[in-house]
Amino acid sequence: MNTAEKLEKTKMENTIPTKDRIIAWPRMGRIDIPLKALLVSLGAKVVIPPPNSNEALEIGVRNSIEGICLPYKLNLANYIMALEKGANTLMMFQAPGSCRLGNYTKMAQKTLKSMGYKFDMVIFDMYKSKMKQTLHAFWHVTHCINPWRYYKGFSLGFNKFFAIDTAERLLFYTRPRELNKGDAEKCYEKWLKITDETNSVIGAKKLKKQIIEDFKKIPIDKDKKVPIVYLIGEFFVLLDPYTNQNIEKELGEMGVEVQRQIMFGDWLEHVLKPSIFYHKESHRERSVRYAKKYMKRAIGGECIETIGDTVYAAKHGVDGIIHISPFSCMPEIVAQNILPKVSQEEDIPVMSLVLDEQTGKAGYLTRIEAFIDLVKRKQLRKNSK
Amino acid sequence: MKSEIKKIGIPRAISYYNNYPFYYGFFSSLGLEVVLSDKTTTKTINEGAKYVVSDTCLPIKVYTGHVMNLLHKGCEAIFIPSIQSTGYKINNCSKIRGLPEIIRNVINKPFIMVEPTLDKTENISFKDFCIQSANSVGIFDKDKIKQAISDGWRVYNMFLEMTQSGVSYSEALDNAIKGKLVKKTIDIVKPLSVAIMAHGYNLFDDRISLNLIKKLEKMDVKVYTSLNVSRQDAISAIDSIGEIQYWANELELTGTAAHYLTNEKVDGIIALSAFGCGPDSLMVEEISYHCKEAGMPLIHLTIDEHTGEAGFITRLEAFVDMLLRKKRSILTKQSDKTEEDANIENTVEIKEERILTGSVK
Repeated sequence: MNTAEKLEKTKMENTIPTKDRIIAWPRMGRIDIPLKALLVSLGAKVVIPPPNSNEALEIGVRNSIEGICLPYKLNLANYIMALEKGANTLMMFQAPGSCRLGNYTKMAQKTLKSMGYKFDMVIFDMYKSKMKQTLHAFWHVTHCINPWRYYKGFSLGFNKFFAIDTAERLLFYTRPRELNKGDAEKCYEKWLKITDETNSVIGAKKLKKQIIEDFKKIPIDKDKKVPIVYLIGEFFVLLDPYTNQNIEKELGEMGVEVQRQIMFGDWLEHVLKPSIFYHKESHRERSVRYAKKYMKRAIGGECIETIGDTVYAAKHGVDGIIHISPFSCMPEIVAQNILPKVSQEEDIPVMSLVLDEQTGKAGYLTRIEAFIDLVKRKQLRKNSK
Repeated sequence: MKSEIKKIGIPRAISYYNNYPFYYGFFSSLGLEVVLSDKTTTKTINEGAKYVVSDTCLPIKVYTGHVMNLLHKGCEAIFIPSIQSTGYKINNCSKIRGLPEIIRNVINKPFIMVEPTLDKTENISFKDFCIQSANSVGIFDKDKIKQAISDGWRVYNMFLEMTQSGVSYSEALDNAIKGKLVKKTIDIVKPLSVAIMAHGYNLFDDRISLNLIKKLEKMDVKVYTSLNVSRQDAISAIDSIGEIQYWANELELTGTAAHYLTNEKVDGIIALSAFGCGPDSLMVEEISYHCKEAGMPLIHLTIDEHTGEAGFITRLEAFVDMLLRKKRSILTKQSDKTEEDANIENTVEIKEERILTGSVK
C-alpha cells in the first residue's frame, strides 16, 4: 500500500502550525458564504479570494497549461490571489474518477510550489465515506475538538446553503414576472448580504422562511405566460455566474423562467448525509432512472445528470434546454453527442453552448436570443392547438 | 434467438490496439468468427466525423467510422466494450468509458451491441467482463467461457512476450494470431534512439500517427514504445518519479516515458496526442516537467484530422536534428575531456618529477 500512503500524505500536508493557519478555497458561485461561516465557527482565520473576473482568468491562463479546462484556470487564479492576500492553507475537495477534476489539486500543488509559494494543501475525497473524510479535513486545519462548534458550523453552513438556494430559485421565478424591473435582483442581493452576516444557528434556520416571505412581497404579473428553460451541464460552469456570463440573468431579462436542477445545497446534502438519514430520491438516482433509455452506465462528471434532466424536463412540460459546458470537457462532449437524439425523440429543443476564455458575449447572446425565439414560437403553437 | 450470432465485428480502434490478441483468442474459442473493420483511411475519419459533434476528439471519430465500416460489411453484432476503470480509482477517459453510449445514440441503425463493462472501482472484474460479453452473444456455458478466457490469455501473453523482446507491433500481432512465437535476438544499434509516449490507438494506427514509427526508422532512429516496457517496469517508473497513477492508460504514457527517462536508454522523448485529449493534456505536462528537470529533450506533437503531413515531418526532422547535434556535442565534449584528463595526468607527472628532482637536490 505504498502508493496509498503516499496519496494520503500529499492530501493533507502539515507544515504550518494550526494557530497560524489562514485558510482559503476556490470560488464557485456563492459557496464562500456558507464555508466561511463553517470555518469561522471552528475558530479558523479565512481569506476569501476576490470574485472571478477577467483579471483572475488572465492570471489563471498565464500559469496553467493550454489544454486544461476552464474551471481549473479559475481555481488556480483563486489560489494565487488568496496566497497573495496572505493565505497559507488551501482547501479543495476532489472526486476521483469523475474527470480531470481529480487531478486539479495535484497540478495546482505542483504549479504553485514551483512558483515559490509556501502553503499547505488540504484535500478531502468525495468518493466514499465522505462525511468522515470531510470532518477529518476540517479537524486537520482547525484542530478544534469542541463538538458544539462542529454542530454550530455545519448547521450554519448547511442552512446558509439552503437559504442561498431558496433565494436563487425564487429569483429565477420572480425575475421574468416582476413588474418593476430590478426588484428581484435587489431582494436577492439583500438576502445574500443578510445570509452572510447571520451568525446564530437559530437565525440561520429562520432564513429560508424569511426569504420566501420577502420575495412574496415583490409585485409580479401572475398570469404572464412565461416559457420555462432548464439550464443543464457542467457543475462549475452552471454555478459560477462569471464563467457562464450570467446566463441566468440574461434569460430572466428576456422573460424566461430559468430552472436549474443542480443546486449546491441539494448536492452537498446528498453527498454528505449518511444514506440512512437520506430518504429522498437524490438527483443522481432520478437522472439514472430517466436516462436509462439512452445511457446504461454513468461515465463520470455530470453526463448522466445532463441526459436524465433533459428527459425529465421533456416529461414535465419544460419548453427548452440550454446545455452549457467548458471547452474540451470530456463528460459533456459525450453528453453533446447524445443530446441530439434525446431532443428528437422526446421532442424538446436543446441548445449546447461551449464556453472558453475567448467566448465573446455578443455572439453568445445572439444564439440565446434565437433559441428563445424558437422556444416561444413552439410554445405559441402548442397553446393554439 | 441470440445464439444465432456467428460473427462478431471488432472495430479497429481504441481498445483493439491494446487488447485485440485477447479478444481474438476469446471469441474464436467461443466459436465465433471475428470480423475486423478495414484499416483507417481518411474516408473512415470523414465518415465518423459525420456522426459525432465537432468537439469530439479524433480517436472517437475514427472509432465511429470503424463501426460504420463494420455495418457496411454486414456485421450484425459489434463488440463495443466500456472500460471504466482498470484498478481501484484508476479510471479511463469519459469518452472511452462512454463508447457504447455514444455509438448507441449517434448511429441509428439496428445492430446488436455487445457492450460489457469493466469497472474495478465498482468491483466488476475482468472475468465478469468476459462473462458479460459471452452472455450477450448467447453463450452461458461456464466451462466454455472459462476455457475461452484462458485461450484469450494464451494469445495475449504470446503477443506480449514478442513485443517485449522487440518485435514490431504488427508483426507480433500477426504471429500471435497465427499461434507462432517469434523472437528478436539481434538488437540493431542506431545512432539515435527515442521513446514515444502515446496511446496505442494513436501510435499504431498508421493513418492517425501518420506513420510516425516508420518515419523515424527511416531517419535512422531507434524507437521504443509502450510495448517494450513491462507493466511492472511502468508502475515502478511512475513511482520513482514521484507520481501517482490516475488514468487507466497512464502506464502507456507516463509509465513509458518515466521508464526511459530514468534508465537513460534514449536521447529524447516524443509525445504524440490527439487534439483536445483530456488525460494527455495532464500527462504530457507532468512528463515535460520531469524532462525539464532531467534535461531530456521532449517534443509534443498534436494531431487532428487536418494535420498536414509536411508540417509534421518538418517538426520531426528538426527534433531529430537537434538530438543529433546534442549527442555530437556531448560526445566531442567527452573526447575533449578525456584528452584534457590525459594532459592533467601528464602535468602531474612532470610536477612530481620536478619535486622529486628538487628534493633530491
